[in-house]
Amino acid sequence: MDFPDPKTPITRHFLSWERPLLAQAVEWLAAGWGGEAPLDLANRLVVVPTRQAGRRLREALAEHASRRGQAVFPPRVVTPDALLTPGLATGAAARIESLLAWVDVVQEVDLADCRDVFPVDPPERNAAWALALGAEFGRLQVALGEGGLRMADVVGRVGAECPETERWRQLGALERRYDEKLAGMGRCDEKAVRIAAAGDPILPAGVEEIVVLGTPDPLPLALRALAAHAGKGVRVDVVVYAPAEESENFDGWGRPVVARWERRLITLRCFEQRVRVCANPAAQAEYLVTAARSYARAEGVLGVGVADTEVLPLAERALARAGIVAFNPEGKARARDGLHALMVALAECAAVPSFEAGAAVLRCPDVLAWLRARATGRFSAAELLQEIDALRAKHLPPTLAAAGLHAGSFPMASVGLAALGELRAVLTTGTFPDNAASASAMIFAARRIDPGAALAESAVAWTDTLREVGRALAGWGGPELTLAERWAVALGAFAAEVRTAERPAGALDLLGWLELLWEDAPHLVVAGVNDGNVPEATVGDVFLPEALRVSLGLNTNAERFARDAYLLTALAAWRHGDTGRMDVLLGKTSNAGDPLRPSRLLLRCAEAELPQRVEQLFRKVEGSHPNLPWARAWPIRPRVVASPKKISVTALRDWLACPLRFYLRHGLRMARVDPAKDELDAGDFGTLVHAALQELGKSEAMRDCVEADRIREFLMERFERVACLRYGTELTLPIVVQLESARQRLRATAEVEARERADGWRTVEVEWKFSFPLGGLTISGTIDRIDRHADGRVRVLDYKTGDTAVEPDEAHGRAVRPEDDGRPEWMRWADAEGKIRVWKDLQLPMYRRAVAAAWGDAVACGYFNLPKAASGTAVMMWAGFSRELQASAERCAEGVATAVVTGEFWPPREILGREADWDEFAELFHQGVAASVAREGSV
Amino acid sequence: MSQLKHEMILASAGSGKTYALTNRFVQLLAGGAAPERIVALTFTRKAAGEFFDEILKKLARAAASEDAAYKLAHDVHAPALKAADFLRLLRTVVEAMPRLSLGTLDGFFARVVRSFPFELGLTGEFQIMEEAAARRERRRVLRRMFAAAGEPDAAQREFIEAFKRATFGVDEKRLARLLDEFLDAHGHTFLAAPEASRWGQAGLIWPDGCPGLAAAGRRVPAAAELHAALPWEALNEKQGARFQEFFATLPEWSPGAPLPGPVKYLVGNSLKIWDQLNSGAEGVELMIERKKVTLGSRARTALVDLVAGIAGAELGRSLERTRGLFAVLRGYEVNYHEAVRRAGRLTFADVLRLLLPGTDGQVPVLSSGVGGDARLLIDWRLDATFDHWLLDEFQDTSYAQWSVLKNLIDEAVQDPEGRRSVFYVGDVKQAIFAWRGGDPRLFREIFDRYNAAAPGTIHEGRLDASYRSGPAVIAMVNRVFGDAAALAVSVPPAAAAAWAREWRAHVSAKPELGGWAELRHADDEAGRFAETLKILQETQALARGLEVAVLVRSNQTAAALAEFLRREGSIAAVAESDLHVAMDNPLTAALLALLRAAAHPGDTLAQEHVNMTPLGACLYEAGIRSGDALTEHVLGQIHEHGFAGTIEVWLRTLGPAIDGDAFSAERGRLLVGAAAEFDESGSRDVADFLEFAERFTVRDTEAAGVVRVMTIHKAKGLGFDLVILPDLEGATLAAAREGLAVQYAADRSVEWVLAKPMKLFVEHDPVLAAHLAASEADAAYESLCLLYVALTRAKRAMYVITGHVGAKSTSRNFPWLLREVLGEVWHEGEARWFDALELTAAESSREERSRAAANESPLAQGGVDERTVQRAVRRPARTPSALKTGAVNGAALFALVRGGSAVEFGSAVHAMLAEIEWWDLTSGGEGAKKTMATLEASGEAGAEAAGCLRAAALAGVWGRPRGAAGAAVWRERAFEVVLEGAWVTGVFDRVIVECDAEARPVRATVFDFKTDRVEPDDDLATSAQRHSGQLAVYRRVVAMLTGISPERVTCEVVFTRVRRRVEVGF
Ligand code: SF4
Repeated sequence: MDFPDPKTPITRHFLSWERPLLAQAVEWLAAGWGGEAPLDLANRLVVVPTRQAGRRLREALAEHASRRGQAVFPPRVVTPDALLTPGLATGAAARIESLLAWVDVVQEVDLADCRDVFPVDPPERNAAWALALGAEFGRLQVALGEGGLRMADVVGRVGAECPETERWRQLGALERRYDEKLAGMGRCDEKAVRIAAAGDPILPAGVEEIVVLGTPDPLPLALRALAAHAGKGVRVDVVVYAPAEESENFDGWGRPVVARWERRLITLRCFEQRVRVCANPAAQAEYLVTAARSYARAEGVLGVGVADTEVLPLAERALARAGIVAFNPEGKARARDGLHALMVALAECAAVPSFEAGAAVLRCPDVLAWLRARATGRFSAAELLQEIDALRAKHLPPTLAAAGLHAGSFPMASVGLAALGELRAVLTTGTFPDNAASASAMIFAARRIDPGAALAESAVAWTDTLREVGRALAGWGGPELTLAERWAVALGAFAAEVRTAERPAGALDLLGWLELLWEDAPHLVVAGVNDGNVPEATVGDVFLPEALRVSLGLNTNAERFARDAYLLTALAAWRHGDTGRMDVLLGKTSNAGDPLRPSRLLLRCAEAELPQRVEQLFRKVEGSHPNLPWARAWPIRPRVVASPKKISVTALRDWLACPLRFYLRHGLRMARVDPAKDELDAGDFGTLVHAALQELGKSEAMRDCVEADRIREFLMERFERVACLRYGTELTLPIVVQLESARQRLRATAEVEARERADGWRTVEVEWKFSFPLGGLTISGTIDRIDRHADGRVRVLDYKTGDTAVEPDEAHGRAVRPEDDGRPEWMRWADAEGKIRVWKDLQLPMYRRAVAAAWGDAVACGYFNLPKAASGTAVMMWAGFSRELQASAERCAEGVATAVVTGEFWPPREILGREADWDEFAELFHQGVAASVAREGSV
Repeated sequence: MSQLKHEMILASAGSGKTYALTNRFVQLLAGGAAPERIVALTFTRKAAGEFFDEILKKLARAAASEDAAYKLAHDVHAPALKAADFLRLLRTVVEAMPRLSLGTLDGFFARVVRSFPFELGLTGEFQIMEEAAARRERRRVLRRMFAAAGEPDAAQREFIEAFKRATFGVDEKRLARLLDEFLDAHGHTFLAAPEASRWGQAGLIWPDGCPGLAAAGRRVPAAAELHAALPWEALNEKQGARFQEFFATLPEWSPGAPLPGPVKYLVGNSLKIWDQLNSGAEGVELMIERKKVTLGSRARTALVDLVAGIAGAELGRSLERTRGLFAVLRGYEVNYHEAVRRAGRLTFADVLRLLLPGTDGQVPVLSSGVGGDARLLIDWRLDATFDHWLLDEFQDTSYAQWSVLKNLIDEAVQDPEGRRSVFYVGDVKQAIFAWRGGDPRLFREIFDRYNAAAPGTIHEGRLDASYRSGPAVIAMVNRVFGDAAALAVSVPPAAAAAWAREWRAHVSAKPELGGWAELRHADDEAGRFAETLKILQETQALARGLEVAVLVRSNQTAAALAEFLRREGSIAAVAESDLHVAMDNPLTAALLALLRAAAHPGDTLAQEHVNMTPLGACLYEAGIRSGDALTEHVLGQIHEHGFAGTIEVWLRTLGPAIDGDAFSAERGRLLVGAAAEFDESGSRDVADFLEFAERFTVRDTEAAGVVRVMTIHKAKGLGFDLVILPDLEGATLAAAREGLAVQYAADRSVEWVLAKPMKLFVEHDPVLAAHLAASEADAAYESLCLLYVALTRAKRAMYVITGHVGAKSTSRNFPWLLREVLGEVWHEGEARWFDALELTAAESSREERSRAAANESPLAQGGVDERTVQRAVRRPARTPSALKTGAVNGAALFALVRGGSAVEFGSAVHAMLAEIEWWDLTSGGEGAKKTMATLEASGEAGAEAAGCLRAAALAGVWGRPRGAAGAAVWRERAFEVVLEGAWVTGVFDRVIVECDAEARPVRATVFDFKTDRVEPDDDLATSAQRHSGQLAVYRRVVAMLTGISPERVTCEVVFTRVRRRVEVGF
């Protein structure tokens, strides 16, 4: 970068490394102040490297003055970047305007004209593509802009060594079009404005002198502005944090000279004790906690630097866990704001009227609060969400409209759906961002918000973003963006913003590497000192590889190395002996297990020491966490509730399978909600098929029909009706497939049914409900159908819609297992061959018992199988069912009933291996079911 | 230095592969190669890290000692090098650190793609997705595909049709689940062969025609014909019944469904004599019910037609299914590509695919004919030039990976000046990652290819001496793998031959280790577990400070066995499997249940679950006693603090319940870590988080002093003093993988794909049988590799425990193989090999280690002395304007005021008023006029400012104070001050300081401008009083700055909208 000759020479001043920078900076600025009047520095502009440095400087000035009971009229403290902002207000495009201009350009340009930029056509030139590309070009402009360059300038700057001059020529041409687009909007590129401003900068009113203070790495463009000020005769002082004897190692702007620092040795005292290799980010975080804990009051004594972004959140959490408040002045991305999550939900809901998107909005606490506030009657958030899940589980509505059809049976959900309807109406009418703002205003209308609250501050940032988007869109001439795309632009901009919180009193600052120069705590621990972080390095780039950065005069790896070598030297210089100390932490691997390397700066030692350092820094590190033996935090203690008085036939099966799980399911009524349910489950499927078959059984008109075709037609017609009632006409793909499957089964059933009827069977009862007392309980159930044959035989049938056909005796019994030892004898029976079996279901025998009074005890029983293979559709009777079996089954049922009445829900069944995947209660049990449950005072 | 050769090294287990690689690296350096011009690629990030560490340490050691230097100099064929030279090399490597290309293949490919996104059809930056993220994306895509409402469109119809075809005509209820399984099983095959023309095309599979297919249509007439032609009268009762059943059930069968028993019986028996049946010979005898039935020629022909027809129908169905499968996969892929890859979210597999030659976006740099400009470009964009290639674990390289590297490496091999080189190392005997694409045949193929073009191009090296294992272990290895004839009994001959080709007898380079190797037996799994425990107790291996591993086949077994050892033997054992840390213990399971109960209040399971744990009491204590309270509180927390923050809060609450339970506390921390990772996605969706958490796994960190139980696959590359292998049972070694039959051409392109038909028919189709045989041979080879890896992990002692192989057993599994080669019992070495090793009491040594580690911590001796050191000043910060009280209306907060926000408006008015030094209402000077005009031309804010200047009520704000000898005005003046221990920062809008004749300040007035909307009849006094906190601070600061007493400082609020000023009292 070339600078104009300053009219007044720029003067460098040097500070000692014996003491912290901050105190000396204050003294330097306050030099000559007698303390009888306020310390008035208002005529100076002080350039510091970061906002945090500025903050510390102002605080220290106040402190300095207060020692004499005085206050300060502070200087204007700015970062190098902010040197270029005055005069920027008018005409400079906002970031969203720039983005949209790029979108416009890349969508309309003939890609064939810029084949060096776009070697291949994108698969689709849609808005998403254009937005991503626009952002990419924007980033490139920023990178070039830091060096005072625009795309078009590159070709002129680089020589023949760049193999991509044609690409840059084309980029330059694209940039010209972009400038034209902005001009059309009455704007010009912000980077261009800054570049221009740097050539002829404006000094803020009242400022007479400029001081560049402890800023080793100002961006090149800022230097151009400083040079221009100096050129106009403004006094510019550069204060370097280094002793005067180091003067040769810094250039006129106080930047470390690459050639000097590249080879220079870096002195770190007690290297072996103070430099520590940790296994991973978590281990570094823990070390920071140890450090903080070693002080009664760490504030002001301990300073923490974190050079690795992975360590930062871990450190914050680890410190919080230890009860130490930490403060990260860099702030957090707005993407983490609660408001952002709400807006994402609203955006999705505005874009598609899907039930899923709507439900996501309803789960936002702010929306629930809104619903509560606007409710006229009783309102319950829990009930609302419960009904929303229930509605979904039952009807699987794809859209909000489809859900609305069923709202009648879900009163609380319908409150939510109605509100969503209104919200969507607002979101989708009018223009963005007004509709978005109105929707937010609607949600928060009834709330009083403390202006200091995070929400208020978030809201201000969001509305600012919306306004910016609104302005940009209003002036934009490009192709219409969809509502979803507009939301995406706004949310993208909002998410990228940073929220800085107030520093809590007494907090431990977690500073970034570049902030540390201004940290004055005597004990400094710097974590994450790995190569790539310190010194920072970039390798490979789509547009700006290192070689090009060098020829363009942009920041290079070599310069970053020099800067960081200087920083490390300066940080360590005074922290030793009685005045302070510095510890350096570095990781062996990242969170994901990627190996990390120690900073090269730590290897900038005398050659003779190098082998020893390598041994130390590259040694193997054991994991910091011991492999702890598995331990049970607690056994679960199920509540004790009264045993049910009435159970269904199927519940008997549950008890036989596992008494404990029976208790959980029927005693405590525990049931899972599947929030991701997107297709029919086995129960839904059976219900649908059953419903059509019941209709057939009930129909008088069809009673004697034996024609397969007519039966099929009837079933189909009824099925469509039932399915439509439940699932409506808007169906998702899986349901389309599943309904098709059900139809196929019903078609096969029609054939079988016709055959059965031709054989002489007639259905006499369907859905025959019964209940009878047994062992102190009432057993209830519903029999799918009861048939009578022309010859007088009677049978009870149960429809089975599982994947494969089942045989009744297989379904009712199983072989004895080792764990059956000690379980009641009444669970067993002997089959025809004398083999001992164990009851696992009692359904058909209980049906037989229920019908005995009306139909006698010679009733046959079996299944009507409707499996997926059409060829398996058939009536399958329980061959060889006997009176003995019936008696055994009843004994067993009685045993179960008695057990239930007396609260016998033990022992549980231990389910192992793959089978455990099907255990709906699996989450309750760890390392054994019985071992997981505390029995005393419970089950 | 000797001539630099291209080298292929076949390195047996434990033979110092890393040693050879690092030596090669040093050799290249010594020869003058710049470190950044050497590319060294391996498979895991961990291996890459260790490789680099090794190089540096090797150089460091040589730099530090002339002895080490002498040895290394000889190892790298540069005998003249001295310690000083190695120091120089060490410095070179250290300096080049950020520029080194030393990592994983995946990482290398990603780096290339990152530099050429536009060339590859990407839009710029992209993101690499890990497994969990990829799964989420898949779900999103499927959901989107499913979510169509109304009548399915054409694409969806097609998809449904395809799906039906793919699910072999018998419908499947759970579409979503099934599709997920499909994608897991077949997704990668689709991507390898995305053309419809490869899938289920009879012409490709049977270029010479398939007789069965042709016969498929003749099935029904053939059945009738057979029925008519059967010698019914000659059949006995049972046989007759067999045939009757056959004819009765045949119509029930539809292709794709399993054959009904009677059909299967007859078809099976016919196929057994298939050649005879087809030979045309008279009087063929078919076995039915243990008696022969002689078939006449008419019956024979009908039977042949019928069986061929059934087979043909089945094959036809398979073809159909394959095509259906293809259409399903394509349907999904199109959507996935659109929504995920194009949006810049890629898996490593996607990255690799982008670079493959022949795919759409040809990378100019990697496709054919690298050189010239293209070469320059790759160097330019990557900031690198690659001269030397070092490839590790080459047997695991896939053909696709090789295809991408090939051109770059070709260039190095063909470098006319011989300044560039290739070196690849690996062990084809350890090729256990074939299922992931590893292609051990590449090893030889590449060697042959280069050497065919120019003999001697690549030099072959072999490392067969084990620096890991002692003689007993090596004896076992040699015995098991060295006998080709014995192996050929257990595995297909092709596999045995492939094995024998590269086999060399091993020798132990550590004879001093002695040791023991033994084959033992136990009845069943319980027995093998018990035997394992017995060995551990007998040897007291942990107490002797030995590294111990038990290697098994699956993660489940690892978990179960580790648990068994801990429970039954109180042995410190760790399953090094992927631990589902969010689900495997009561603490985190309860925390997840809490989130679920809050977000899905209908989930009574989750609710009761919470109640069964101490969390229930915590909720009660916290006053959360209803479903509503739970939902609102916890959803609110998640919304505000994310999942990590929320879980952290509850963990803290639960603290006392798990006091002293380090394990649970650790699990809690891991769950927070998982949550933090999820929070990165920005999602606050509880269901999504729960799914993520349930799938979330971590690997236990490596630890000493415990028995490590892990799968053989995970043990690759590791060595232990004692290894036990108790889990070698299982099916035949030659079991081909389930699923699709995929036939590859020599260039590994897919020739055809077929969903496997019934095995019965596969075996009788020459083409399919050949395919099956080949895949079984591959499977068997991989099985041998697995056993080889398992048997070569031990340094001192190796115990293999298998079940007894029954006399009648025909299953060619590992126990069978071991019995074949080792006999019933086998051992070698010193049975009490462990006696010589001292007991060190592992437990106490573990504690000592951690105590030593703590002592090593510099902070153990404390930091700086808190009492004497100069403490840096930190004061709580305050800004007066934040002292304002009162809440604002939510709707107002979100209003988009036209023309800018209230904040912008306010600061514009402030800025304009700050321009005014003194203003006299009566003055009509030119300057004043000009000021007025400018203001009035500056929009709403300007008008407001102008109004304020004109307002009579505000005259005192702008005018010079009467009666004062002098006056100064501060405008927008910033101040910094320390008040009551706090650092206060603020800006005065306007202060007028009156002075006496000596220019000493005597009194002052602070004006604070408020631009908010207040209506004229609002109670201004109350509004103004709201700012009293702020103004009280101003008053004190002005007093301090001017040196007058606070009583002489007046404070006024100026309401610019209504042009009124109100004095604030204190
Ligand atoms: S800070 Fe978080 S945990 Fe504490 S009350 Fe608020 S939401 Fe709940």
